[in-house]
Amino acid sequence: MKTAEIVYNTKKKKGDKQYGVLFNNGKVRKRREWRGIKDTLYDFSRWLYLWSIMIGVTLSRGGMKGMIRYRWMANYLAVPHAIDKFTIGMRDETLRITHTAMDFVVKDVALCIKDTLRGDRRTGNDVEFSNKCVLSDENAMTVFMMGFPQIKAILREIPTMFSANIMTQYSSTYYLDIAQQFGIPGDVCPMPEAEAGASICDDFAVLGKCAVQVNTTCDGSLMGNGIIAKRLEREYGIPTFQLAAPMRHENPDVLDYAAEDMKKCIAWVEEKMGVKWDWDTYFECIKRVNQTTRDRWEWLEVNATQYPQFFGAVFSLYNDTNYMGNCGRSKDFPPINDKIMKLVRQGYKNKTMMAPEYRHRCIVWGVQPQYCIDQLYWMVNCWGVVPLTDMLSMVVEKEFCEENKPENYEQAYKDMAYLNMNMIMRNKTHGGYECLVDELWEFVERLNADMVMMWEHMSCKALNGLHGQFEEQARERGIHLVWVCHDLCDPRVFTRQAIRDQFSEYMRTVMREEPLDPTLEFMPDENAW
Amino acid sequence: MNKFAKIPLMMLGGGASVFAVLFTIYFFNLDMKFMSYCVEPILLKIYDMRKPNFYV
Amino acid sequence: MRDLKHLGYFEDLLQTANNELIAKAKEEGKVCAAFLCENIPEPLLNLGNAFGIRLFAPNTGSMDIATYYMTSFLCETSRALLERAIEGGYNFADCLITPDGCTMMNRCGENMELLHTMDGGDSKFFYEYMEIPLKADDNGVELMKVQCQNHILTPLAEKYGIDTSDAAIRAAVKEHNEICEIIQAIGRFRKDDKPRVTAYEFHVLTLATYVAPKYLIVDKLRETLEEIKTRTPDDKSYRARLALVGSEIDDSGVIKLIEECGAYVCVDRYCFGSFPGRVPIELNDEEDAFTQVCRHYVYMGQCPRTMNMEKVYGRKAYVNDLCKEYRADGVIYQQVKFCDPWAYERLLGSTMLRDDYGYPVLSIDRPYNISASVGQMRTRVQAFIESIEIKNLQGGAKK
Repeated sequence: MKTAEIVYNTKKKKGDKQYGVLFNNGKVRKRREWRGIKDTLYDFSRWLYLWSIMIGVTLSRGGMKGMIRYRWMANYLAVPHAIDKFTIGMRDETLRITHTAMDFVVKDVALCIKDTLRGDRRTGNDVEFSNKCVLSDENAMTVFMMGFPQIKAILREIPTMFSANIMTQYSSTYYLDIAQQFGIPGDVCPMPEAEAGASICDDFAVLGKCAVQVNTTCDGSLMGNGIIAKRLEREYGIPTFQLAAPMRHENPDVLDYAAEDMKKCIAWVEEKMGVKWDWDTYFECIKRVNQTTRDRWEWLEVNATQYPQFFGAVFSLYNDTNYMGNCGRSKDFPPINDKIMKLVRQGYKNKTMMAPEYRHRCIVWGVQPQYCIDQLYWMVNCWGVVPLTDMLSMVVEKEFCEENKPENYEQAYKDMAYLNMNMIMRNKTHGGYECLVDELWEFVERLNADMVMMWEHMSCKALNGLHGQFEEQARERGIHLVWVCHDLCDPRVFTRQAIRDQFSEYMRTVMREEPLDPTLEFMPDENAW
Repeated sequence: MNKFAKIPLMMLGGGASVFAVLFTIYFFNLDMKFMSYCVEPILLKIYDMRKPNFYV
Repeated sequence: MRDLKHLGYFEDLLQTANNELIAKAKEEGKVCAAFLCENIPEPLLNLGNAFGIRLFAPNTGSMDIATYYMTSFLCETSRALLERAIEGGYNFADCLITPDGCTMMNRCGENMELLHTMDGGDSKFFYEYMEIPLKADDNGVELMKVQCQNHILTPLAEKYGIDTSDAAIRAAVKEHNEICEIIQAIGRFRKDDKPRVTAYEFHVLTLATYVAPKYLIVDKLRETLEEIKTRTPDDKSYRARLALVGSEIDDSGVIKLIEECGAYVCVDRYCFGSFPGRVPIELNDEEDAFTQVCRHYVYMGQCPRTMNMEKVYGRKAYVNDLCKEYRADGVIYQQVKFCDPWAYERLLGSTMLRDDYGYPVLSIDRPYNISASVGQMRTRVQAFIESIEIKNLQGGAKK
């Protein structure tokens, strides 16, 4: 079997050294982590910043009303709690990297909530603003909005579903129950199912002049769109466009089709919104996308060394926000990237580590459970297993045409189509077994990993369809493969402890190891947000 | 000490008090305890009172 | 009614995937192009020396090995097919065309490839994956053409020297249409008050046309049609006339079960059924046959994955039109267990057929092999039929 060299942390860790003791089976922690004076004060300053954002959203137009009207809004009471999960055990550069990235993710979602409620017919009801909004599928790369600086893309499913479940574990269960009450079986992916449930019980904000849906990420997502679109069109009079993203995204023979549909989509948005596509803005955006790609690969190169710096759930969420939610449209991202880059280089130079020792180098593959996304930090602190990267962060590798010339426009449509097809997660779960299985082994080599943790999202048919192949090929290659099963956003199927147990069991029985921090092995967070 | 000289001291004292209060809230997680045990249950009651407008 | 002369023969064809007609065609030196999805234009697999066979897994029992490879959450059809492939049940095939339409069927095909279930070291054998258009529009037709060219015609011509000319396509469509016209002609008898063909018989005949070489069954189908024309129907009335909509039904036991409950499946709209799978392809002489075939499949298809809203609403209107034409009293929306596309379509379809079109609807999921759940299914179908009867007694009628 492949083995990794153990790396020991030569720096003495300040403050708390055991983190399980912070939980007492309540909804929230007993207290916050003590990280030494300097790092605790830094964390305190970020906490103040978070509250300023939260208060800002609540006081914005429609904020208070939205809090009372929409069930999903209550999940955002837990934002500071969620951030604490992502910074567990962190000190020095890693703490700063995580906060820098996460502050921006929070700000981005907060802006999304603010805009959603402002335009929402039931709360903010700013009609003029609403008429400048296009409801965009959360599972899209929002590329079709890259050349429309005059109008806004509103990804209303993000606050309703995606980020809500990161904040509190039970955020989706109400909507899942509604969907199942109406007849959707319980075996489909709970994410689009919960979205369908939110639409059925009318808990989505209603705004925008038109909506664009895509068939990414999967069959469930595609099919759930029909239910949502029907309500939008028939009850709220919001026309929808279905943007096609072919499945076999690496086959060159689908690109023309995808590009043609992208053109149609852009023309449709132009017609519905009464605005013109602006190539200057598009090329500005695509430059930012390219920079993001370059930066991400540099961070991954650092992660291929003994001292990885930017990894874990926040790495994944930051990439999500950067590629999907913004797709180069936000001018604020490059400076944040630069700041993170500086910290990553500094942390590497200083050999900053998250745990007293790194025993194993792990690639995290598959689809992560939203409500237990912080398990990646738990792995480091409890078992010394470093999640070098995760499948969701392994989005596009290639760079796109940046030169604004009319002869490049056709290529630009193809680039947009390629990006759309290669949406985060989907670019691995779809496109053939080469993308899902073969590429995993490539990344294992590139990042010098000795272990793979497979998030087995039990209702993800694309992933499960190759279960046996993963198992057999890992065995042939001598790679430790740890299966960790979950149901994406439904903690009633697999609790957080049940998820952690699967990993711990492997570490004890197969690896014959003892935890670095035994207080984390059985953590009483069953009732926690 | 004249009146003007006291202002920075008062500001410092006030600032220190605000810091002490906020840091206590922060460190003992009082913000989250308040939200989870006081605010959230009220909000959930409000949501449960609303009759959903079902539509497929 | 008197038994159909060839019913036993057709039933026998459905007892195994590797039936006697496939063996006969192979003996004649023909090339078997196996496929997995109704969206793949069937006539393009019946060109020249090739014949297309839709893979199915009759009499499926245990799916343990396939479940190991794909887990118990994948649709039972995909697991049943993989299991059969691992058992060597499809060793007659010379290539496999898999859609990357629904993910699970795609994974089924990929596992077949990775496990070398069918190639047996044959260097000519090829596995191809086709992108299926997601919208019914002209762009989709263009994609379908590119995909059929790259993943069906070119490999068939290069590997097996199959004639893919316009003349060959027209000949294949002619053969295809004859089968379709016979099936449609038999199916139209289902409109009668006292139908002279049972739904079970119709299902057997239709399914046989997908799993056996067409040129070898057409004679017996013709004979059967003639026999039905003069057949005396039973003097019995059914408790309800039902439309059956949803994912593929490879087990005729499902239809038998419904009939045993006293209902008549007067029209079908499921994958590999007669609508739209056995609707003839109309060709003109002005345009090449290849384009016309692709267009037919893109626009005629009723796959739930086709996502443009015209098609989303259109699928339900299509079911309504069929129900009107075939005078259905109610609709059964069914899906094979763990099928994602039909899980959602079942909700939207059953809601719209009930609320917008006024039909009583039963919405159910079922195993691939119905014998695993006969009792449950019978109870639900009986209750549904009773509810229709009570509604009729009370004077409630569809809008």
